[in-house]
Amino acid sequence: MFGNPLTILTLGPICAGFAFMLVAWAAPPSKRKEISQYIRLLIFAFSLLLLSLSTLMFLESYSGISWTSLGLSDYAYDNCINAEVAIEAGGCSLVDGFGVSWHVGVDGLSFPMVWLTTLLIPISMLVEWNAKKGAQFHSLILMMEGALIGVFVSLDLFVFYTFWELTLIPMFFLILLWGGDDRKYAAQKFFIYTFTASVLMLLGILVMYYFTRVPVWEGNITGRAFDITLMASSSNNLGSAFLGGFGMQKAVFLLLLVGFAAKMPSVPVHTWLPDAHVQAPTAGSMLLAGVMLKMGAYGFLRIAVELLPAAMVHYQLLLIILGMVSLVYGAMVCLGQTNLKRMVAYSSVSHMGLIFLGIATMQPLGIAGAIFMMLAHGVISPYLFAVCGAFKHHYHTLEIGSMRGIAKFSPWLGGHMMTAWMGSLGLPLMAGFVAEVAIMIAFWMAFGWWVILPALTLIITAAYYLWSMQRTIFEGGDAGELPDTLHDEPVDISWHENAGMFAMAVCAVLLGVLPFIFFDMMSSYSNDFVTEVLLDVLNEVIP
Amino acid sequence: MSTLTLISDPQTATVLLPEFTLIVGIVLLILIPNLGKGTFRLPIPNTNIRLPYLFGGERFAITSSPRVPGAISVFTLLFSTSLALWSQMENPLSDSNVWCIATTGEAFISCAGMIEPSLLQIDGFSRLLEIVFYGVLMLCGVAMWSRMPATPRFMIRAQVLAGRREDERIVKLLDNRRQVDFHLLLLMVALGMSVVALASDLFVLFIGLELASLSSYVLVAFMKETDEGPEAGMKYFIVGSVASAIGLYGISLLYLWNGNLQISELAASWQAMDSIDPLALAGLGFIVVTIGFKVSAAPFHLAAPDAYSGAASPVAGVLATASKAMGFVVLLRVLVAITMPDSGEAFWVPIVGLLAAVTMTWGNLGALSSENPKRMLAYSSVAHAGYLLAAVAALGLNASREGDHVVAELIVAAMLFHLTVLVLFKLGSFLVLSMLESEGRGSKLEDLYGLARREPLIATALFIFMLSLAGVPPLSGFLSKLLLVSGIVDATVHNTMSFDDGFMAAIRSLHWVFFLALLVFLNSALSLFYYLRVGWVMFFEKPPTRKRLVYAPFLRITIMLCMVGTLAFGIGPLADHLLTLVSNAATAFFS
Repeated sequence: MFGNPLTILTLGPICAGFAFMLVAWAAPPSKRKEISQYIRLLIFAFSLLLLSLSTLMFLESYSGISWTSLGLSDYAYDNCINAEVAIEAGGCSLVDGFGVSWHVGVDGLSFPMVWLTTLLIPISMLVEWNAKKGAQFHSLILMMEGALIGVFVSLDLFVFYTFWELTLIPMFFLILLWGGDDRKYAAQKFFIYTFTASVLMLLGILVMYYFTRVPVWEGNITGRAFDITLMASSSNNLGSAFLGGFGMQKAVFLLLLVGFAAKMPSVPVHTWLPDAHVQAPTAGSMLLAGVMLKMGAYGFLRIAVELLPAAMVHYQLLLIILGMVSLVYGAMVCLGQTNLKRMVAYSSVSHMGLIFLGIATMQPLGIAGAIFMMLAHGVISPYLFAVCGAFKHHYHTLEIGSMRGIAKFSPWLGGHMMTAWMGSLGLPLMAGFVAEVAIMIAFWMAFGWWVILPALTLIITAAYYLWSMQRTIFEGGDAGELPDTLHDEPVDISWHENAGMFAMAVCAVLLGVLPFIFFDMMSSYSNDFVTEVLLDVLNEVIP
Repeated sequence: MSTLTLISDPQTATVLLPEFTLIVGIVLLILIPNLGKGTFRLPIPNTNIRLPYLFGGERFAITSSPRVPGAISVFTLLFSTSLALWSQMENPLSDSNVWCIATTGEAFISCAGMIEPSLLQIDGFSRLLEIVFYGVLMLCGVAMWSRMPATPRFMIRAQVLAGRREDERIVKLLDNRRQVDFHLLLLMVALGMSVVALASDLFVLFIGLELASLSSYVLVAFMKETDEGPEAGMKYFIVGSVASAIGLYGISLLYLWNGNLQISELAASWQAMDSIDPLALAGLGFIVVTIGFKVSAAPFHLAAPDAYSGAASPVAGVLATASKAMGFVVLLRVLVAITMPDSGEAFWVPIVGLLAAVTMTWGNLGALSSENPKRMLAYSSVAHAGYLLAAVAALGLNASREGDHVVAELIVAAMLFHLTVLVLFKLGSFLVLSMLESEGRGSKLEDLYGLARREPLIATALFIFMLSLAGVPPLSGFLSKLLLVSGIVDATVHNTMSFDDGFMAAIRSLHWVFFLALLVFLNSALSLFYYLRVGWVMFFEKPPTRKRLVYAPFLRITIMLCMVGTLAFGIGPLADHLLTLVSNAATAFFS
């Protein structure tokens, strides 16, 4: 159970983070500074180790896993294959008494997210290398990594939910202890929103649990289990009778939708995001946008869509409306923003709308595009936030109009800003473009010329990005304009910020030029899902 | 005669070893602190031979130490807990672990071959409850150990004239005497509660109940140096004694009806009735009032917040955990063991269901609006009583004598699990408050401000207790609520439930008790607000002082153990062990 690489990826960082935190806390005051520098290095090395582990897991030549030939309910590194038998045998059970198991596994949907998490952690540490109280800061990020990976790899809803809530705690403290001026309010709002939404999600999960009866095994006194694979098989076998009937499926779907939409976030439950982003430290923002928002999309696909496909078909229109509104509203709000970070935050809302649209097309390409969007946005939006953070750090402002001519004062920052902005608006040969094109084509295949609506919105996206670039990087004449908040000479970004940003730029371009690195496994997943599950449901619903 | 048999019969002595240990502890508690250097001179002329008789005179340094009584009671309870636990460890379901004690004092294995009626019955169910009771009281003893030397200073000042040395001796004496009083009462409560857990006769049960109650009234009023202590004790005593009197009247009505107070005989007569006898019904109703007071169910809960906030925190913790568990034992014995029909649902389901709904909602609303952490915990205890009552209502649907008891066992197991883990996090939070109380704080929310800066570990522990009370996974509080709700759902939703006629039609076809499960969920969500508020003020408000809390090493260790237990009983192998234990106990209850 503990030899599984996914278990190591999950529990390793959490335990190591705790240990480092304790060491940093217990260090004698006279040597605290020195020790904390060593700890920072150790934590960074540890996160690189995890990154190399996940990369090795990915390489087919090394791990021997053929990602594109995994079946729909097959998982790589599954510690509990054939769960019904394996749990009873005691190989992976956590609490027999009420059917909780330590069941982990990855497939084409979750593995890219795991890899993304392991990638972003060292990068975000690098970008915020000199954080105050660095040892604690970096240990918190390390703990966060474990919790995030736990969400992506656990195939047991109880464990999933636990990790889901666990991610809140480090993020809450990152915002609260290292955040901006209004951090208390932002942290509170962040916590209340996501927690309330996840309580509704918990209700949905519990309903599913109550309907997942398993053959009573030794010690299981409730006779039920939280295992996703068991739920999936009963969902497949029972069809419309799953959860007692279609009505209950719809109700549960809506509950789950609220929980996941608040995390993604989608309009109308998105209002916590801009506040949290603006107040969070740079590394916190990067992880929030890069990975935490993906938890919502991932959970939606893994639980709501995979287990309740019929309800998804039923609520297709709702998903389209939510996606469209998020897309358009997010973009329009971006146009009106004067705060750089707030603008980037709303652009996340807008991009997450595309994910809903991609899923709602119910085409293999659309779902694969939505998953690729998760990955692309997961690389590019941290890049955006890293740029915003560097801007704030060096110029002490985030107002768009207050500073003109970055390219003149800080050429590296200007260059990164331009790359990131271009990547996010969907420049060809960068990751975002692939995802957008895939979703648009699928949308066209599904709904024909309606594709004009989302496609036109991309113009607004281009508009706000280009406009904000014009007002910050260029303009200002030969002398440029410096903000009032800057009292020293303007300087360029430091080496570690530069290194982190470069890493993200390389990834964004690499995924744009060679998307098949991950796109293949995603499309194999979505193909299997559509052909094996969704088509049956569609035939059943629309005879 | 029977008392003699009780002690001399080796079998009885073995079976009741935990209880006898308590009695030995009580005796020791009376004797040891009185040991001294007293001697008397042999009345032989012209000699001065003095023989020590150990009582009286100046006491030894050890026996006069204020720590001794606490040590005696804590070790007695520890010993009793271990004995009870040990008897549960191996094969708890076999017949050789079920014993009945007859009125003659003889012990009968698996209650076979008895001619005399049985007074006490020892099985997995009662043993588990004993473990809970002893555990709670032991933790309370540990907590008071480090804070009792809060001697009433004004009493010493009156003695100052007697000189400095005299003064010290008086302080010591007072401390020691107070300790003896307190721990003696604590052991009495333990004895009373274990009698309740074992009783198979309503009258014996009542005696145990009163022994525990009377002792706990005094314990509540024990902090006599404050104004609130005696007031709370008085209120609790008046309301409690009225409730007990009503219960006793109910028992006498049942006796009038049946001529016998054996639970099994009462059950048999209840079954034999064609229609419900008003005499029996009235008797039962009166007993339920007493229980309502014990478990602090609305509308009998009104004294509870006052009592909790006036009593010392560890004592309040005892009221919130052990006392409540005792109440639910009586409820199970009276309602389920006596009045369950052969088939179908029990007649009291609507009443208990209504009580449950009112109790949990009222408790949560009260907790939301209270600024005193102890009152808040008191109201949260009321809310938890509501959740348990909802489970009892579901039990009324499914525990009929002739049906199978799978669901009923699940519900009882869930209740027992809840009552067991409640000890960890409910009593744990009272223990934290007890640390604050030692410095004269703890009765206002402001006293918790910035606790995390003063004591990070203790504050984290309290935060985890709060989360567990709210039922956040993967803590044990979540698991217990999950089991309770599972039980209610299982009792009301059947496999054949279908949504063919639409969602609303299916919902309407459910038994109304199902909505109690929903109400439990909603109330838990509501309760998050006040539980999280405690966490918020601890971590994010400015502390009134930077001083650390009292040293109290044992109390700190106990709190940490409670925290670890709260986590470990939520997920992992320990949770599994406890689940096995409680489901065995539930099986024992129905066999």
